[in-house]
Amino acid sequence: MPETTSRPLPEIFESFSDARKQGFITMKNLKEQGKGVVGTFCSYVPVELFLAAGLIPVGLCSTSDETIGEAEKVLPRNLCPLIKASYGFAAADKCPYMYFSDLVVGETTCDGKIKMYELLGKIKDVHVMELPHSQDKPSSRALWMAEIKRLKTRVEEKFGVTITEEKLHRAITERNRERALLKKVYELSVMDPPPLSGLEQLQILFGTQFKFDHEQKIREMEETINSITKTYQNGKHPVPSTAKTASRPRIIVTGCPIGGATEKFTRVIEESGAVVVAYENCTGAKQFDRQVEESADPYEALCDYYLNIGCSVMSPNPNRLELLGRLCDQFKADGVLEMVLQSCHTYAIESHTVGEFLKARNIPFMSLETDYSAGDTEQLKTRTAAFIEML
Amino acid sequence: MIIGIDCGSTLCKGVLLGTNGIEAFSVLPTGWDLQKSASQVLAELKGYISNTVDTIPVITTGYGRDMAPERKRAVTEISAHARGAEYLMPGVRTVIDIGGQDCKVIAVENGRVVSFQMNDKCAAGTGRFVQMILERFNADISLMDKLLAAGKFVQLNSTCAVFAESEIIGLLAKGYSREEIAGGMARSLAVKIGSLAARVSLHAPVVLTGGLAESSGIRSVLSETLNCEVQYLPQGLYAGALGAACMGPG
Repeated sequence: MPETTSRPLPEIFESFSDARKQGFITMKNLKEQGKGVVGTFCSYVPVELFLAAGLIPVGLCSTSDETIGEAEKVLPRNLCPLIKASYGFAAADKCPYMYFSDLVVGETTCDGKIKMYELLGKIKDVHVMELPHSQDKPSSRALWMAEIKRLKTRVEEKFGVTITEEKLHRAITERNRERALLKKVYELSVMDPPPLSGLEQLQILFGTQFKFDHEQKIREMEETINSITKTYQNGKHPVPSTAKTASRPRIIVTGCPIGGATEKFTRVIEESGAVVVAYENCTGAKQFDRQVEESADPYEALCDYYLNIGCSVMSPNPNRLELLGRLCDQFKADGVLEMVLQSCHTYAIESHTVGEFLKARNIPFMSLETDYSAGDTEQLKTRTAAFIEML
Repeated sequence: MIIGIDCGSTLCKGVLLGTNGIEAFSVLPTGWDLQKSASQVLAELKGYISNTVDTIPVITTGYGRDMAPERKRAVTEISAHARGAEYLMPGVRTVIDIGGQDCKVIAVENGRVVSFQMNDKCAAGTGRFVQMILERFNADISLMDKLLAAGKFVQLNSTCAVFAESEIIGLLAKGYSREEIAGGMARSLAVKIGSLAARVSLHAPVVLTGGLAESSGIRSVLSETLNCEVQYLPQGLYAGALGAACMGPG
């Protein structure tokens, strides 16, 4: 890796935590240059198709409770905050990324989203991919393959472009490179004590999605990895060890995606004396652990890669457990904490399976439900602190 | 010597623990100024120490644990109740704590928490729910025990404490007795705790800590609903404070 370190670490972390905001301006400029933008919600959407079409994909999952009130004018109160906030930002026209999106691509992951997309379709141009809910049936795979091809046609028609196999292959390679680097970033925390806090790791993982220039993104990630490694090798361990056990309990976070308002989950864990070493969720390892097969037919490769994401909407969902188990070993986890967003049925129910899986491996586990408000911070604190005292 | 203070939402409890065991207890209503009540409890306990030394470590727990002055360490009430119950009854396996604003069921092994369940943002099943009814009846815990001893009850349909209060007003208007309503309240509380207990493995011995620890009536309704004996834990009110003291400065 070339020697690129120039900025101090705090500045690097800030550039990631600030990325979502900074990205607004970048995106505005790109739009003015005539670039097309595609907004997405879930990890299941094969963004390589958009990259191959010369478009900019951007994540629209909202992470703030700012527009939940607006959303509740239409949507029920007792609904996942991610769905409410995402719709709310569109309805209130407050999310610049939603505003700039020429096309919004959703998928039939959960019931809440499926029905929300119907309403969102009245505000934006929405294309919904039909996601099968099982990974092991040939018919499921065939459906997903057809859906990827249908998305390709839709994108080509909407933007008047042709997605060639060559371009698609290049997009796959590009995205794989980013995945590999982000994996390298979070794997830094395999070290004990970890060289960065779970909050810093989260800010990098979350922030990267709002950096839109591939080469620059690669450079910045390499710089970040270099800088963190060097600082650590120089004997600076930013995550202090506790006097008693020599190191802080190492926690893996699983469950629903984390970012923005739900950063509180990581904050509470780390304020209680533990450190988050890895995220087995869509903000973390679930997105970056694997690579899209580069030597295969690009459509076959994309189909296999995306269908096999271990989200709780799949039944059965063995891939989540496989990844979680592997992360527990690799990161020497002392405990696993799950964040379930209010009214997320699939994660809430799967919680039991995850608990049994971890019990068999003797890893303490607790699941906590939360939403985008700050109202339950004290309750989260008491439960989390008790869990950490238990370890 | 060490002092444990359990600054709860309703009562502030303190224990002075010495080499020969518990040397003093103190309890005060928490009021609105958590810091003040904790200071008062602390001052009272210090009054028991001859040649007062300032260096006695103070360990705090409870809802106001971060507010108490002079704390050396703050621990959660979950670990504290488990540890305190173990001190009072070695070998205890399940602790039911009914606090002023929450209730929890804790599975314990050798004084350590194995797992726990706590009620969410809701007053159902908490001490506040009981207190509300006692206030309406102008009763204290000993009168409540007398009412419960009658073994009568009327089914309360509301699980929400606020709705239950209006339901109770309606029942009084229909002529139901205090015995029946108190019995209904205790059963509603026990069912709520039963739903938490179902999620941790309930092993005997089971004890009750917190503000209702002294109530034989609540214990017997709980025993009946949970289908296992909930034992009397003398000084169970102080389990949190005692546990904090036992956990020490870390």
